[in-house]
Amino acid sequence: MLSIAPEIRVSPPVAAPNVVAMAEELPTDHELMIAVRAGDIPRLGDLFERYHQRLFAFFVRLTSQPSTSEDLVQLVFYRILKYRHTYRDEGKFTAWIYHLARKVAADHWRKQSNTPIATDPTELPEVVDTAPDSAEQTAGREDLALLRVALAQLPVEQREVLVLSRLQQVEHRDIAQLLETTPGAVKVRVHRALKELREVYFKLRRERAA
Amino acid sequence: MNCQRVQESFLDHQDGTLPADESAALRAHLASCPTCQREWAALQEITRKLDALPVPAPSPRLREQFYAMLDTHERQATHSGNPFAFARSRLDRFFEALLPHRPSLQFAFSLALLAGGILVGARVLAPEPATVAVPVVDPSSKEEIAALHRRMDQMGQLVADSLLVHKSTNDRLQSVLATMDVANPDRKLLADLVSALAFDPSVNVRLSALEALAPHTKVDVVRAGLLTALPRETAPLVQVGMIELLAAAGEREATPILDKISRDTTANQNVREAARRALAVLRAPLSPPTDNQNASNKPAQPILT
Repeated sequence: MLSIAPEIRVSPPVAAPNVVAMAEELPTDHELMIAVRAGDIPRLGDLFERYHQRLFAFFVRLTSQPSTSEDLVQLVFYRILKYRHTYRDEGKFTAWIYHLARKVAADHWRKQSNTPIATDPTELPEVVDTAPDSAEQTAGREDLALLRVALAQLPVEQREVLVLSRLQQVEHRDIAQLLETTPGAVKVRVHRALKELREVYFKLRRERAA
Repeated sequence: MNCQRVQESFLDHQDGTLPADESAALRAHLASCPTCQREWAALQEITRKLDALPVPAPSPRLREQFYAMLDTHERQATHSGNPFAFARSRLDRFFEALLPHRPSLQFAFSLALLAGGILVGARVLAPEPATVAVPVVDPSSKEEIAALHRRMDQMGQLVADSLLVHKSTNDRLQSVLATMDVANPDRKLLADLVSALAFDPSVNVRLSALEALAPHTKVDVVRAGLLTALPRETAPLVQVGMIELLAAAGEREATPILDKISRDTTANQNVREAARRALAVLRAPLSPPTDNQNASNKPAQPILT
């Protein structure tokens, strides 16, 4: 009854899990970013390969719009390029990129003038599943679709903290830095968000069953 | 451990970050508390589902767009058609590494630069007034400057005169035609007309001058002017006019010139014939003065009409 091993992400919540998993001689995110800042622009490609999927998932969970999310990821890397001189020697790349991502998302919502919340599972992005269908799989897919709807119905602050901590596996310390609060406060927010998600999810399931 | 405390520790317990003793206390509480068991089970379920959410994958479009952006940026930075862009970026990096980054150091550096500039400026620019003062002290240089001043004044006068003389052809023609209305022109006016006849570059102006001079062939300045101008004249029309005027005036001093023209094979046929006719007139016995006077007006008429 200890911690649940995540089915998808087996690596511990670190800044750049793939870097740790790979050979030690690979440059860290910070080293790559310092190189980019010094004018070695092609190294940004390495950072893109490490981060674009995570960022895309972050934006999809926040906006529920895959196409828009791709544009937002592109915008984050554009801003990294544009503001590379502001990256600080003592900075942490993960915290910086999520800081930029949050700003990009905030700008996006400002343009949209309201936070888009998908309430119908059909409006949400479908994940392609090539495995043959079974009754269990179909039930599982419906469950996940309900969970996506529940997640989308959460207030954006709760959704964001859940995405960062549970789906992006950003450390509570880094989230605290992003949200300008303490790690303890972050844990409390995550706990409340999980509770809220659970309530919304079970409510949706009851409505569906009825 | 009460229920609230237990439930607050669920996340840390789940992540495995709870200290061992607290973790043991939590498990002991869970074993005996049905409410916390339900809470724990619900949390497990929702986190399991959350973690099972498939990671959405971006389309290949994202990677294409990113590398296109990178290419565009690289092209703009190094191959933007400006061959100095690369060198400039290298230079920028060089100075960036060289110059201080801290604002206080930057300020001190700027002050040092300013002080250095003032120092160098004071040393380099100070001797200049002394070198300027030298010619004022030297008397020979003083004379030289005075001479230069005079020459400058003369040149200025010359330029002014030239500007007056070199009016447009139309203006000069108007000036000459204006003299025709003067009944008794003075020697200065006649001298000007003779100058126009001898030196004006325009045939029309010279012809007009000749016509203006025609009534005044008795004046020696006019005759002398005609004798001087004739060998210089190149336009046959003006040459014929001059020859006929001299012949009408009975100017015998024109004979050698006319003789030369009449024998000049390169000269215009009409001019040579006019010269021969004039020679015949001049070598002939003296004609009555009235005829001369009438004839003096004749040559100008056919020319100008």
